[in-house]
Amino acid sequence: MAASDAKASKGSNATEAEVVITRVFDAPRELVFKAWTDPKYLAKWFGPKGFTNPVCEADARVGGAWHIVMRGPDGAEYPCGGVYREVVVPERLVFTNIATDKEGSPILDGLTTVIFEEHGGKTKLTLQTRATAVVDYAVAHLKGMEAGWTQSLERLAEELAGS
Amino acid sequence: MSQDHLSATFAALADPTRRAILARLISDEASVTELARPFEMSLPAVSKHLKVLERAGLIERSREAQWRPCRLHAAPLKDVADWVERYRRFWEESFDRLDVYLKELTEKEKRHGRKRRKSE
Repeated sequence: MAASDAKASKGSNATEAEVVITRVFDAPRELVFKAWTDPKYLAKWFGPKGFTNPVCEADARVGGAWHIVMRGPDGAEYPCGGVYREVVVPERLVFTNIATDKEGSPILDGLTTVIFEEHGGKTKLTLQTRATAVVDYAVAHLKGMEAGWTQSLERLAEELAGS
Repeated sequence: MSQDHLSATFAALADPTRRAILARLISDEASVTELARPFEMSLPAVSKHLKVLERAGLIERSREAQWRPCRLHAAPLKDVADWVERYRRFWEESFDRLDVYLKELTEKEKRHGRKRRKSE
């Protein structure tokens, strides 16, 4: 088995996926960074459309913890959190992200890197996140987070053709 | 679908040649020879990739015809795509909200700036 294969299946019940997203925000870099690290700001936008964050704590220092409880439009709660591994103001954040079930057992284990770059008065944000689903339940968890969204095979075909 | 199957699918998709083979099979079924043509690769090498894809349940090989055409079996592919896309979707939607929130913040900042200048 090639090295790349091993990376994709590193355990009998673990599944890994990587997502990279880039977006330019029309705001100064310091403000975008603050929106990520100040819990009052973070609570306003973290999570999918229609979600609120009744609990939002973030101690953005190396070794500091973050903890968020997301509440979906149907009232279901999704706790998640992690630990900051790197904090370089206002350039870079690396943190672990762990989603837990109601009993506190981890169901999703990931590492996220966020890079903040000056981009002509705006801020270019690059988010790279690797997630490992640790149990079957993670799939159901992710399904719950997403409201009525479906994936078409045509879209997938385009992606495969483009890769 | 069990997590084991999902892992096998991820492993199968980790290779660009195998992704290209799947992309080819989206349009139509094909023989091993046909699948090997676009790649600088021996038939046994292509067969090896096909075995990985078959084990992951991503392709089926007909036993009827002599040339045993390969056919795409898209169900596990869709499960993986759903899984990854849900994760992406989570961040995309968060970013949409962040974008709106930052606009609110910068507008507030501008208004306050104007007020301060007026009172000076």
